[in-house]
Amino acid sequence: MRSLIAVLALALSTSAVAANLTYRLRVDGLACAYCAYRIEKAFMTTRGVEQVDIDFEQGNVLVDAARDVTFSEAELRRIVNDSGFTLRGVERLEGGAK
Amino acid sequence: MKYGVWLAGALLGGLLALAWFGGALNWNREAPYELVQSWGGPGTSDGRFNEPTGIAVGADEVFVSDARNRRIQVFDKQGRFLRAFNEGLERPMNLEWHDGRLYVADFFADQILVYQADGKLLHVIAPPDGLHNPGGVAVRPDGALLVADTYAHRVLLLGPDGKVLKAWGTPGETGSASGEFNYPADVTLAPDGGFYVADGYNDRVQQFDAQGNFVRKWGGPFGVNLHGPFKGWFATATSIAYGPNDKVFVADFYHDRVQKFCDHGGYITSFGAAAPDSATHTAIAVDVDSDGGVWVANYARHRVEQWRPSGAARGRS
Repeated sequence: MRSLIAVLALALSTSAVAANLTYRLRVDGLACAYCAYRIEKAFMTTRGVEQVDIDFEQGNVLVDAARDVTFSEAELRRIVNDSGFTLRGVERLEGGAK
Repeated sequence: MKYGVWLAGALLGGLLALAWFGGALNWNREAPYELVQSWGGPGTSDGRFNEPTGIAVGADEVFVSDARNRRIQVFDKQGRFLRAFNEGLERPMNLEWHDGRLYVADFFADQILVYQADGKLLHVIAPPDGLHNPGGVAVRPDGALLVADTYAHRVLLLGPDGKVLKAWGTPGETGSASGEFNYPADVTLAPDGGFYVADGYNDRVQQFDAQGNFVRKWGGPFGVNLHGPFKGWFATATSIAYGPNDKVFVADFYHDRVQKFCDHGGYITSFGAAAPDSATHTAIAVDVDSDGGVWVANYARHRVEQWRPSGAARGRS
Protein backbone atom coordinates (compact mmCIF):
# COMPACT_ATOMS: atom_id res chain seq x y z
CA MET A 1 0.00 0.00 0.00
CA ARG A 2 2.82 2.34 0.95
CA SER A 3 4.59 1.63 -2.35
CA LEU A 4 1.38 2.26 -4.30
CA ILE A 5 1.03 5.67 -2.66
CA ALA A 6 4.67 6.41 -3.46
CA VAL A 7 4.15 5.49 -7.13
CA LEU A 8 1.02 7.65 -7.34
CA ALA A 9 2.78 10.58 -5.69
CA LEU A 10 5.67 10.26 -8.15
CA ALA A 11 3.31 10.13 -11.13
CA LEU A 12 1.45 13.19 -9.93
CA SER A 13 4.63 15.15 -9.27
CA THR A 14 6.03 14.19 -12.69
CA SER A 15 2.90 15.37 -14.49
CA ALA A 16 3.03 18.61 -12.57
CA VAL A 17 6.61 19.24 -13.63
CA ALA A 18 5.95 18.29 -17.25
CA ALA A 19 2.67 20.17 -17.56
CA ASN A 20 2.36 22.72 -20.32
CA LEU A 21 2.04 26.40 -19.64
CA THR A 22 -0.86 28.46 -20.86
CA TYR A 23 -0.51 32.20 -21.34
CA ARG A 24 -3.61 34.31 -21.07
CA LEU A 25 -3.11 37.50 -23.08
CA ARG A 26 -5.44 40.46 -22.82
CA VAL A 27 -5.69 42.02 -26.28
CA ASP A 28 -7.90 44.88 -27.42
CA GLY A 29 -10.31 44.63 -30.35
CA LEU A 30 -10.89 40.89 -30.54
CA ALA A 31 -14.42 40.81 -31.89
CA CYS A 32 -13.80 40.04 -35.54
CA ALA A 33 -12.56 36.88 -37.20
CA TYR A 34 -10.17 38.85 -39.39
CA CYS A 35 -8.22 40.12 -36.38
CA ALA A 36 -8.57 37.07 -34.15
CA TYR A 37 -7.35 34.76 -36.91
CA ARG A 38 -4.35 36.96 -37.59
CA ILE A 39 -3.19 36.66 -33.99
CA GLU A 40 -3.98 32.97 -33.93
CA LYS A 41 -1.96 32.45 -37.10
CA ALA A 42 0.99 34.42 -35.71
CA PHE A 43 1.14 32.23 -32.61
CA MET A 44 0.52 28.99 -34.47
CA THR A 45 3.55 29.68 -36.63
CA THR A 46 5.68 30.37 -33.54
CA ARG A 47 7.94 27.52 -32.49
CA GLY A 48 6.85 26.02 -29.18
CA VAL A 49 3.15 26.91 -29.44
CA GLU A 50 0.77 23.97 -29.45
CA GLN A 51 -2.65 25.55 -29.46
CA VAL A 52 -4.30 28.97 -29.55
CA ASP A 53 -7.83 29.80 -28.45
CA ILE A 54 -9.62 33.11 -28.68
CA ASP A 55 -11.98 34.07 -25.88
CA PHE A 56 -14.19 36.76 -27.37
CA GLU A 57 -16.18 37.19 -24.18
CA GLN A 58 -13.16 38.28 -22.16
CA GLY A 59 -11.00 39.62 -24.99
CA ASN A 60 -8.30 37.06 -24.26
CA VAL A 61 -5.94 35.03 -26.39
CA LEU A 62 -5.03 31.73 -24.74
CA VAL A 63 -1.70 30.32 -25.88
CA ASP A 64 -0.75 26.77 -24.92
CA ALA A 65 3.03 26.30 -24.97
CA ALA A 66 4.65 22.98 -25.65
CA ARG A 67 6.22 21.08 -22.78
CA ASP A 68 9.24 22.84 -21.27
CA VAL A 69 8.72 25.90 -23.47
CA THR A 70 8.34 29.33 -21.92
CA PHE A 71 7.84 32.76 -23.42
CA SER A 72 8.83 36.10 -22.00
CA GLU A 73 6.35 38.94 -21.91
CA ALA A 74 8.52 40.78 -24.43
CA GLU A 75 8.27 37.87 -26.88
CA LEU A 76 4.52 37.68 -26.50
CA ARG A 77 4.20 41.44 -26.85
CA ARG A 78 6.23 41.41 -30.06
CA ILE A 79 4.03 38.73 -31.64
CA VAL A 80 0.85 40.61 -30.72
CA ASN A 81 2.28 43.92 -31.91
CA ASP A 82 3.46 42.39 -35.19
CA SER A 83 -0.12 41.24 -35.75
CA GLY A 84 -1.28 44.83 -35.46
CA PHE A 85 -2.71 44.72 -31.93
CA THR A 86 -1.81 45.94 -28.47
CA LEU A 87 -1.08 43.63 -25.58
CA ARG A 88 -2.74 44.84 -22.37
CA GLY A 89 -1.53 42.16 -20.00
CA VAL A 90 -0.17 38.65 -19.61
CA GLU A 91 -1.07 35.99 -17.11
CA ARG A 92 0.84 32.72 -16.83
CA LEU A 93 -1.39 29.79 -15.95
CA GLU A 94 0.46 26.82 -14.54
CA GLY A 95 -0.58 23.35 -15.62
CA GLY A 96 -2.36 24.48 -18.77
CA ALA A 97 -5.42 25.52 -16.82
CA LYS A 98 -7.71 27.91 -18.57
CA MET B 1 -30.96 88.39 -33.03
CA LYS B 2 -31.81 88.23 -36.71
CA TYR B 3 -28.14 87.65 -37.50
CA GLY B 4 -28.05 84.74 -35.03
CA VAL B 5 -31.09 83.10 -36.60
CA TRP B 6 -29.55 83.42 -40.05
CA LEU B 7 -26.26 81.98 -38.82
CA ALA B 8 -27.99 79.04 -37.14
CA GLY B 9 -30.04 78.41 -40.28
CA ALA B 10 -26.95 78.54 -42.47
CA LEU B 11 -25.11 76.14 -40.18
CA LEU B 12 -28.05 73.73 -40.10
CA GLY B 13 -28.41 73.96 -43.88
CA GLY B 14 -24.71 73.34 -44.32
CA LEU B 15 -24.80 70.30 -42.07
CA LEU B 16 -27.85 68.91 -43.84
CA ALA B 17 -26.23 69.46 -47.25
CA LEU B 18 -23.08 67.76 -46.00
CA ALA B 19 -25.08 64.86 -44.64
CA TRP B 20 -27.20 64.55 -47.78
CA PHE B 21 -24.52 64.79 -50.41
CA GLY B 22 -21.98 62.96 -48.28
CA GLY B 23 -24.27 59.97 -48.00
CA ALA B 24 -24.85 60.33 -44.28
CA LEU B 25 -28.65 60.56 -44.48
CA ASN B 26 -30.59 57.55 -45.71
CA TRP B 27 -33.89 55.83 -45.23
CA ASN B 28 -35.31 52.43 -46.14
CA ARG B 29 -36.62 52.42 -49.68
CA GLU B 30 -37.71 48.82 -49.18
CA ALA B 31 -38.87 46.96 -46.13
CA PRO B 32 -36.16 44.92 -44.42
CA TYR B 33 -35.91 41.29 -45.57
CA GLU B 34 -37.41 38.42 -43.55
CA LEU B 35 -35.53 35.46 -42.14
CA VAL B 36 -37.11 32.42 -43.77
CA GLN B 37 -34.87 29.61 -42.53
CA SER B 38 -31.67 28.90 -40.65
CA TRP B 39 -29.69 25.87 -39.60
CA GLY B 40 -26.54 24.92 -37.76
CA GLY B 41 -25.48 25.88 -34.27
CA PRO B 42 -22.11 25.39 -32.61
CA GLY B 43 -20.41 22.02 -32.88
CA THR B 44 -18.23 19.76 -34.94
CA SER B 45 -20.69 17.19 -36.32
CA ASP B 46 -22.20 17.34 -39.79
CA GLY B 47 -24.43 20.37 -40.09
CA ARG B 48 -22.88 22.16 -37.11
CA PHE B 49 -20.32 24.95 -37.36
CA ASN B 50 -17.43 26.43 -35.48
CA GLU B 51 -17.34 30.01 -36.79
CA PRO B 52 -18.73 30.06 -40.34
CA THR B 53 -16.91 32.76 -42.30
CA GLY B 54 -17.95 32.34 -45.91
CA ILE B 55 -20.94 31.31 -48.00
CA ALA B 56 -21.64 30.67 -51.68
CA VAL B 57 -24.81 29.53 -53.35
CA GLY B 58 -25.09 27.55 -56.57
CA ALA B 59 -28.11 26.34 -58.51
CA ASP B 60 -28.96 23.58 -56.02
CA GLU B 61 -26.39 23.74 -53.22
CA VAL B 62 -25.09 26.02 -50.50
CA PHE B 63 -21.38 25.96 -49.63
CA VAL B 64 -20.20 27.15 -46.22
CA SER B 65 -16.72 27.90 -44.85
CA ASP B 66 -16.70 26.18 -41.46
CA ALA B 67 -13.57 28.02 -40.40
CA ARG B 68 -12.41 26.48 -37.13
CA ASN B 69 -13.61 23.04 -38.13
CA ARG B 70 -11.29 23.43 -41.12
CA ARG B 71 -13.78 22.26 -43.72
CA ILE B 72 -16.28 23.24 -46.35
CA GLN B 73 -19.78 21.94 -45.71
CA VAL B 74 -22.31 21.54 -48.51
CA PHE B 75 -26.09 21.57 -48.09
CA ASP B 76 -29.14 21.55 -50.26
CA LYS B 77 -31.28 24.64 -50.07
CA GLN B 78 -33.51 23.13 -47.42
CA GLY B 79 -30.52 22.79 -45.10
CA ARG B 80 -29.94 19.07 -45.50
CA PHE B 81 -26.29 18.16 -45.09
CA LEU B 82 -24.84 16.64 -48.25
CA ARG B 83 -21.07 16.39 -47.76
CA ALA B 84 -17.95 18.05 -46.41
CA PHE B 85 -14.39 18.31 -47.68
CA ASN B 86 -11.11 19.82 -46.61
CA GLU B 87 -8.28 18.69 -48.88
CA GLY B 88 -5.47 21.25 -48.53
CA LEU B 89 -7.66 23.53 -46.42
CA GLU B 90 -6.54 25.46 -43.32
CA ARG B 91 -8.74 28.48 -42.57
CA PRO B 92 -11.41 29.13 -45.24
CA MET B 93 -12.95 32.58 -45.50
CA ASN B 94 -15.18 34.11 -48.22
CA LEU B 95 -16.20 31.75 -51.03
CA GLU B 96 -16.99 32.12 -54.70
CA TRP B 97 -19.00 29.66 -56.78
CA HIS B 98 -18.22 30.08 -60.45
CA ASP B 99 -18.82 27.82 -63.44
CA GLY B 100 -19.06 24.62 -61.42
CA ARG B 101 -16.01 25.39 -59.29
CA LEU B 102 -15.68 26.54 -55.69
CA TYR B 103 -13.00 29.15 -55.04
CA VAL B 104 -11.84 29.45 -51.44
CA ALA B 105 -9.73 32.23 -49.94
CA ASP B 106 -7.56 30.49 -47.33
CA PHE B 107 -6.46 32.94 -44.64
CA PHE B 108 -3.88 30.65 -43.04
CA ALA B 109 -2.47 28.93 -46.13
CA ASP B 110 -2.17 32.23 -48.02
CA GLN B 111 -3.59 30.85 -51.22
CA ILE B 112 -6.73 30.41 -53.28
CA LEU B 113 -7.99 26.84 -53.49
CA VAL B 114 -10.17 25.68 -56.36
CA TYR B 115 -12.41 22.66 -55.88
CA GLN B 116 -14.84 20.64 -57.90
CA ALA B 117 -18.31 20.56 -56.42
CA ASP B 118 -17.61 17.10 -54.95
CA GLY B 119 -14.59 18.42 -53.02
CA LYS B 120 -11.78 17.31 -55.31
CA LEU B 121 -8.99 19.88 -55.13
CA LEU B 122 -8.17 21.06 -58.64
CA HIS B 123 -5.80 24.02 -58.28
CA VAL B 124 -3.89 26.01 -55.70
CA ILE B 125 -3.26 29.59 -56.76
CA ALA B 126 -0.96 32.21 -55.24
CA PRO B 127 1.20 34.95 -56.76
CA PRO B 128 5.02 34.62 -56.71
CA ASP B 129 5.36 37.10 -53.84
CA GLY B 130 2.65 35.32 -51.87
CA LEU B 131 -0.66 36.39 -50.38
CA HIS B 132 -1.06 37.84 -46.90
CA ASN B 133 -4.17 36.45 -45.24
CA PRO B 134 -6.55 36.65 -48.21
CA GLY B 135 -10.19 37.17 -47.30
CA GLY B 136 -12.09 36.84 -50.56
CA VAL B 137 -12.00 36.11 -54.26
CA ALA B 138 -14.08 36.74 -57.38
CA VAL B 139 -13.68 35.08 -60.77
CA ARG B 140 -13.90 36.86 -64.10
CA PRO B 141 -15.38 35.13 -67.14
CA ASP B 142 -11.88 34.76 -68.62
CA GLY B 143 -10.77 32.78 -65.56
CA ALA B 144 -8.68 35.55 -63.99
CA LEU B 145 -9.13 36.02 -60.25
CA LEU B 146 -9.71 39.18 -58.26
CA VAL B 147 -8.32 38.58 -54.78
CA ALA B 148 -8.80 40.66 -51.62
CA ASP B 149 -5.33 40.26 -50.12
CA THR B 150 -6.51 41.46 -46.76
CA TYR B 151 -3.35 42.01 -44.71
CA ALA B 152 -1.38 43.33 -47.68
CA HIS B 153 -4.05 46.04 -48.11
CA ARG B 154 -4.30 45.36 -51.82
CA VAL B 155 -6.53 43.81 -54.45
CA LEU B 156 -4.86 41.64 -57.07
CA LEU B 157 -5.89 40.47 -60.50
CA LEU B 158 -4.27 37.07 -60.93
CA GLY B 159 -4.06 34.85 -63.97
CA PRO B 160 -5.11 31.23 -63.45
CA ASP B 161 -1.41 30.42 -62.97
CA GLY B 162 -1.04 33.02 -60.19
CA LYS B 163 0.73 35.62 -62.32
CA VAL B 164 -0.08 39.14 -61.14
CA LEU B 165 -1.83 40.92 -64.01
CA LYS B 166 -2.76 44.04 -62.10
CA ALA B 167 -2.78 45.35 -58.53
CA TRP B 168 -4.65 48.06 -56.62
CA GLY B 169 -3.66 49.64 -53.33
CA THR B 170 -0.28 50.17 -51.72
CA PRO B 171 1.13 46.82 -50.57
CA GLY B 172 1.55 46.69 -46.83
CA GLU B 173 0.16 50.17 -46.23
CA THR B 174 -3.32 51.17 -45.23
CA GLY B 175 -4.94 54.20 -46.82
CA SER B 176 -8.37 55.76 -47.03
CA ALA B 177 -8.00 57.75 -50.27
CA SER B 178 -9.76 56.49 -53.38
CA GLY B 179 -8.15 53.27 -54.58
CA GLU B 180 -6.41 52.63 -51.28
CA PHE B 181 -7.46 49.92 -48.85
CA ASN B 182 -7.56 49.13 -45.16
CA TYR B 183 -7.87 45.35 -44.76
CA PRO B 184 -10.02 44.65 -47.86
CA ALA B 185 -11.99 41.50 -47.09
CA ASP B 186 -13.88 40.56 -50.25
CA VAL B 187 -14.48 41.32 -53.93
CA THR B 188 -17.48 40.81 -56.20
CA LEU B 189 -17.80 41.15 -59.92
CA ALA B 190 -20.44 43.11 -61.81
CA PRO B 191 -21.84 41.84 -65.12
CA ASP B 192 -20.11 44.66 -67.02
CA GLY B 193 -16.68 43.47 -65.82
CA GLY B 194 -16.36 46.11 -63.12
CA PHE B 195 -15.92 45.07 -59.52
CA TYR B 196 -16.70 46.10 -55.96
CA VAL B 197 -14.47 45.72 -52.92
CA ALA B 198 -15.62 45.32 -49.31
CA ASP B 199 -12.93 47.62 -47.94
CA GLY B 200 -13.04 46.10 -44.44
CA TYR B 201 -11.64 48.49 -41.87
CA ASN B 202 -12.16 51.51 -44.10
CA ASP B 203 -15.86 50.84 -43.43
CA ARG B 204 -16.81 51.33 -47.04
CA VAL B 205 -17.30 49.84 -50.49
CA GLN B 206 -15.10 50.84 -53.42
CA GLN B 207 -16.28 50.41 -57.01
CA PHE B 208 -14.00 50.00 -60.05
CA ASP B 209 -14.88 49.78 -63.75
CA ALA B 210 -13.96 46.97 -66.14
CA GLN B 211 -10.61 48.62 -66.86
CA GLY B 212 -9.85 48.79 -63.16
CA ASN B 213 -10.39 52.53 -62.82
CA PHE B 214 -11.80 53.79 -59.56
CA VAL B 215 -15.46 54.82 -59.98
CA ARG B 216 -16.81 55.67 -56.53
CA LYS B 217 -16.80 54.78 -52.86
CA TRP B 218 -19.53 54.78 -50.27
CA GLY B 219 -20.07 54.14 -46.57
CA GLY B 220 -20.52 57.10 -44.22
CA PRO B 221 -19.93 60.69 -45.35
CA PHE B 222 -17.74 60.66 -48.46
CA GLY B 223 -16.52 57.11 -47.76
CA VAL B 224 -13.49 58.28 -45.82
CA ASN B 225 -13.46 55.74 -42.99
CA LEU B 226 -16.11 57.23 -40.74
CA HIS B 227 -18.07 54.41 -39.17
CA GLY B 228 -21.42 54.52 -37.48
CA PRO B 229 -24.71 52.70 -37.06
CA PHE B 230 -26.68 54.78 -39.55
CA LYS B 231 -28.22 53.43 -42.73
CA GLY B 232 -25.61 53.20 -45.45
CA TRP B 233 -22.72 53.39 -42.99
CA PHE B 234 -20.55 50.43 -42.02
CA ALA B 235 -18.39 49.17 -39.21
CA THR B 236 -16.14 46.64 -40.93
CA ALA B 237 -17.41 45.46 -44.31
CA THR B 238 -16.48 41.78 -44.42
CA SER B 239 -18.25 40.39 -47.50
CA ILE B 240 -19.91 41.60 -50.68
CA ALA B 241 -22.11 40.05 -53.37
CA TYR B 242 -23.67 41.32 -56.58
CA GLY B 243 -27.25 40.17 -56.98
CA PRO B 244 -30.03 40.18 -59.58
CA ASN B 245 -31.36 43.52 -60.81
CA ASP B 246 -27.99 45.19 -60.21
CA LYS B 247 -28.12 45.21 -56.44
CA VAL B 248 -25.10 45.03 -54.16
CA PHE B 249 -25.26 43.33 -50.75
CA VAL B 250 -22.67 44.01 -48.07
CA ALA B 251 -22.07 42.25 -44.74
CA ASP B 252 -21.73 45.02 -42.15
CA PHE B 253 -20.20 42.86 -39.43
CA TYR B 254 -20.08 45.06 -36.35
CA HIS B 255 -23.65 46.22 -37.01
CA ASP B 256 -24.90 42.62 -37.34
CA ARG B 257 -26.64 43.30 -40.64
CA VAL B 258 -26.56 43.01 -44.39
CA GLN B 259 -27.10 46.24 -46.29
CA LYS B 260 -28.56 46.38 -49.78
CA PHE B 261 -27.58 49.05 -52.30
CA CYS B 262 -28.15 49.82 -55.94
CA ASP B 263 -25.06 49.36 -58.09
CA HIS B 264 -23.99 52.98 -57.71
CA GLY B 265 -24.20 52.91 -53.92
CA GLY B 266 -27.69 54.20 -53.26
CA TYR B 267 -28.92 52.73 -49.99
CA ILE B 268 -32.03 50.51 -50.26
CA THR B 269 -32.54 48.52 -47.07
CA SER B 270 -30.83 46.45 -44.40
CA PHE B 271 -31.62 43.40 -42.31
CA GLY B 272 -30.11 41.14 -39.66
CA ALA B 273 -30.07 40.73 -35.92
CA ALA B 274 -27.43 40.92 -33.23
CA ALA B 275 -26.59 38.10 -30.83
CA PRO B 276 -26.90 39.92 -27.49
CA ASP B 277 -25.60 36.92 -25.56
CA SER B 278 -22.38 36.88 -27.58
CA ALA B 279 -19.33 39.13 -27.43
CA THR B 280 -18.91 38.93 -31.17
CA HIS B 281 -21.16 39.67 -34.15
CA THR B 282 -23.38 37.95 -36.67
CA ALA B 283 -23.43 38.84 -40.40
CA ILE B 284 -19.93 38.08 -41.65
CA ALA B 285 -20.52 36.69 -45.14
CA VAL B 286 -23.21 37.06 -47.79
CA ASP B 287 -24.20 35.64 -51.17
CA VAL B 288 -27.24 36.17 -53.33
CA ASP B 289 -29.27 33.52 -55.09
CA SER B 290 -30.48 33.87 -58.68
CA ASP B 291 -34.02 34.40 -57.32
CA GLY B 292 -32.90 37.30 -55.12
CA GLY B 293 -32.85 35.34 -51.86
CA VAL B 294 -29.93 36.28 -49.64
CA TRP B 295 -27.75 33.73 -47.83
CA VAL B 296 -25.80 34.80 -44.78
CA ALA B 297 -23.09 33.15 -42.66
CA ASN B 298 -23.92 34.08 -39.08
CA TYR B 299 -20.61 34.06 -37.21
CA ALA B 300 -21.77 34.54 -33.62
CA ARG B 301 -24.62 32.03 -33.85
CA HIS B 302 -22.61 29.52 -35.91
CA ARG B 303 -25.37 29.09 -38.45
CA VAL B 304 -26.55 29.64 -42.00
CA GLU B 305 -29.48 31.95 -42.70
CA GLN B 306 -31.69 32.54 -45.71
CA TRP B 307 -33.41 35.90 -46.03
CA ARG B 308 -36.05 37.02 -48.50
CA PRO B 309 -37.73 40.30 -49.36
CA SER B 310 -40.69 40.83 -47.07
CA GLY B 311 -44.19 40.60 -48.47
CA ALA B 312 -44.40 44.38 -48.82
CA ALA B 313 -41.15 44.53 -50.75
CA ARG B 314 -41.63 41.47 -52.93
CA GLY B 315 -41.65 42.32 -56.60
CA ARG B 316 -39.78 45.56 -56.13
CA SER B 317 -36.30 44.22 -55.39
